[in-house]
Amino acid sequence: MLASTELQEGRAIAATEAPAGGYVGARETKHNGDLFLTGRAAYFNDIVLPKMSHAAVLRSPHAHARIKSIDASAAEASAGVLATLTGAQIKEHTGPIPFFIDPAVFGGKTRDNFPLAVDKVLMTGQPVAAVVAETAADAEAALDLIKVDYDVLEPILEADDALKDGAPIINDGWDDNVVITLPFVEGDAEAALAEADHVIEDTFEMHRLSTQPIEPRGNMAVWEKDGSLTFYGSIQNPHPLRLHLSQALGVSESAIRVIAPFVGGGLGLKMHGHPEEALVCVLAKIVGRPVKWLEDRRETLLIGGIEQTHRFKVGFNNDGQIVAIHNRIVANVGMLGSAPGWGMAFLSALGFPSGYKVPVTDVSVQVVSTNKGIWNATRGYGKQGTNVVIERMVDLVARHLGMDRIEVRRKNMIEKDEFPYATNSGLNIDSGDYHAALDKLEELLDYEGLKREQAKLREEGRYLGIGITFELTPESADIPGTIVGGFDSAQVKMDPSGNVTILSGVTTPGSGNDTGLAQIVADEVGVTIDRISVIQGDTDTCPYGFGNYSGRSIVSGGNSAVLAARDIGEKIRGGAALLLEAGDEDIELIDNLARVAGAPDRAIPIAAVAETIYTLNFAIPGIPEPPLESTRVYKPDNIRHTPDEKGRIQPYPTYSYAMHGVVVEVDPETGAVDIKRIGIVHDCGTMINPLFIEGQMAGAMVMGLGNGMSEELKYDEKGTPLSTRFKAYLMPRAGDVPAVELVHQITPSPFTLLGTKGAGEAGVGGGMSVIANAVDDALAPLGVTIRELPVSPPNVLKAIDEAGSNGGRG
Amino acid sequence: MTNSIRLNLTVNGEARSVEIDPRRLLVEVIREELELPGTHIGCLTGDCGACTVERDGQIIKSCLALAASAEGSEITTIEGLAENGELSTLQQAFWDEYGFQCGYCLPGMLFSAKDLLAQNASPSEDEIRHAINGNLCRCTGYDTIVKSIAEAAARTA
Ligand code: FES
Ligand code: FES
Repeated sequence: MLASTELQEGRAIAATEAPAGGYVGARETKHNGDLFLTGRAAYFNDIVLPKMSHAAVLRSPHAHARIKSIDASAAEASAGVLATLTGAQIKEHTGPIPFFIDPAVFGGKTRDNFPLAVDKVLMTGQPVAAVVAETAADAEAALDLIKVDYDVLEPILEADDALKDGAPIINDGWDDNVVITLPFVEGDAEAALAEADHVIEDTFEMHRLSTQPIEPRGNMAVWEKDGSLTFYGSIQNPHPLRLHLSQALGVSESAIRVIAPFVGGGLGLKMHGHPEEALVCVLAKIVGRPVKWLEDRRETLLIGGIEQTHRFKVGFNNDGQIVAIHNRIVANVGMLGSAPGWGMAFLSALGFPSGYKVPVTDVSVQVVSTNKGIWNATRGYGKQGTNVVIERMVDLVARHLGMDRIEVRRKNMIEKDEFPYATNSGLNIDSGDYHAALDKLEELLDYEGLKREQAKLREEGRYLGIGITFELTPESADIPGTIVGGFDSAQVKMDPSGNVTILSGVTTPGSGNDTGLAQIVADEVGVTIDRISVIQGDTDTCPYGFGNYSGRSIVSGGNSAVLAARDIGEKIRGGAALLLEAGDEDIELIDNLARVAGAPDRAIPIAAVAETIYTLNFAIPGIPEPPLESTRVYKPDNIRHTPDEKGRIQPYPTYSYAMHGVVVEVDPETGAVDIKRIGIVHDCGTMINPLFIEGQMAGAMVMGLGNGMSEELKYDEKGTPLSTRFKAYLMPRAGDVPAVELVHQITPSPFTLLGTKGAGEAGVGGGMSVIANAVDDALAPLGVTIRELPVSPPNVLKAIDEAGSNGGRG
Repeated sequence: MTNSIRLNLTVNGEARSVEIDPRRLLVEVIREELELPGTHIGCLTGDCGACTVERDGQIIKSCLALAASAEGSEITTIEGLAENGELSTLQQAFWDEYGFQCGYCLPGMLFSAKDLLAQNASPSEDEIRHAINGNLCRCTGYDTIVKSIAEAAARTA
């Protein structure tokens, strides 16, 4: 555990780089923090509508089965029940749930996912019937009365089994169990490996994990008297969901309003494509009343992600230069759902070779469907697959050559004067200084001192480990042909009293980008932040936007707010210039005043200018035109959708990155890993609010450490989930981690207006990779090589056993 | 509905009396019948702490108690933490130190911190982490929560 003075020292380095003056760059606190602290912030489940009824969902107890028949008559007659619905009836009410990202767009296979299974179930927990009742308890009680006759089939749970010749094909109409295979090839890997001084061949397995925000999902639908639909949900992407509900239900998009209240953590889980979204709409139509469905934690834990195996070869020379990577990734996406989860596998392959200059790479990912649960996005969106495995490779190279891992990284990382740098998979990394970040991390951790301490402890038979990893986080994606959009919109309005409202197309899942937007606009318009309100998450009031994912909220939403606010600022300046008899360019807007630069007594309140523009517009010739409103879109640079000669596109404008270092002590008797220190050097370009950036990074890091250390969604051999509660799915608690020591490095992106690069995802892949490398390092004297995550006590003991039976070779 | 019963209790200093289904959990009655939705539900198994309230001076996870068991008791929820409309020192410290992101875990964090500080005016970092170990937060990584509690202790000293 760190002493708090050390914590403050880490922070002190951060503070010296904070810019002075204005709101942007300041450590502003949440603009609406009191709402949350007093219990007045309304989340999904706090919304209560008149005549509201409640839905419960009957889920398949089998991982793979045909539904022969369903009898819901007893449930229908049960106390308080208003209606039942089964898979046999569902097609009368809705079409299939549109994919958030359809594999067919990339040439892969697809399927029709209905809110209730029509004839076959592909995972334990797949919805097969639903009940609506007066209370949630009545609805749940009635589920027990529904009789389903299943023809149970053999489940296929492991990707390798699903790939075997002659394996049963689980999706009707497919010719195998592969959703898609995506290759990323540059150069001739076989030849380069043959020429390399050394080749290491190994595997790495990342087990299935889950996002688990503390607020579960929930949806509610109500059909208004005019035939329009209002949908409330704990969701991340209101406008895209509106489109998809319209497509599924056959209702005009303009007759649907989607509202996202405050969200108790999104983390990717609340991107849509889940069965229950269209389901509540259908049920609400049937009963003619509002229908609410709230997820139980057992249901949240049905949704997984990440599970993938890498079988790789890495070629390198005596000097530590990595010359070739060959990697075959197999990702087990379970049942192919309509939520965007499966696409994470794409990213795990696309990201190679991260921030390293490896001339030859041959990486491909096979996305395999099995009878495990669906995937949805999990913070980091698959980038952790790249980060973990490439960082394992670098450490393997270092260990093989007896070189220091930091030296191997220095040797292979992209140099700061090489940006923008085009990677083998076609990405164009905008900017950075990886070597400086590594220097800062060495200093922060006192790396040499740590190595001495490690050597001393090893003599005492204690296993201290140092993990060092680099993490590249491409952000703010735009994927052509999907509703993953790289641009976003903002409307800024000033009323005659000089108050400002921001309506944004991005949503905040709890991270505080709303406060960031207020900071940005306050500076541009010259008002204090208390005069600003922010509205997000309502398709009827907010301009069209894509919501929250991919670290995009400030890159796209923030920069569009800058443009809109500048339009308002210009009008205020024009009005003030007229009233103060000065030139437009002499007017500065600050502290709610428009004043003539250099003449502090020539000033007028911004509110007075606004009022004049609205009330004396005919009276004062030349005064700017009302209203004081502007809606703007910001499209970042650097995205390229025209394929290059190799057919590659460039979907990301910016690339944030971080250097991570953790110190652990491992007990080889119990397999327990004790994290002693966490050090991070992070660069997300310009920071709108360092307080929030630090919070995002610490949160992502601890989530990544949990993902890498203790979290695992397990199944029994029948495909029944075993990790059904927080008692079995073990997320980190306060006592499991020390404080995060964080240092900022700022290299603004040349491709975004404010130079921001996106924050919020970086740290997850870092946490996973750095814990793998730290445990590997700790147990190196025992000949252990870490080949799987999480490094939970059983897996650590297994690795120690395997090393022992290998004669300590690893 | 099963035969309902009447529940009399004091909530945030106010005497309340509500008709309830005796099968209901305390958290459900607080949220729905007493209309205090600041107490949250994260798991219903006692693992996350989002449902924490104070009952007769002791903090409890209200998903682990039947509402009927609260007959005659004094309950404080997150809505009752502010003093005369002013945020408490603890709440203010959580605001100033960014002690929450989505805010969903706040009931557990605030009540555990309050309970700790009532017993230990200047806790160490270890003691703070221990005190909030029964509550899950998926957003913050706990750092700023620890700092908020340390800051509240410093301000009260
Ligand atoms: S809801 Fe009570 S502990 Fe999670
Ligand atoms: S702030 Fe989101 S769970 Fe704690």
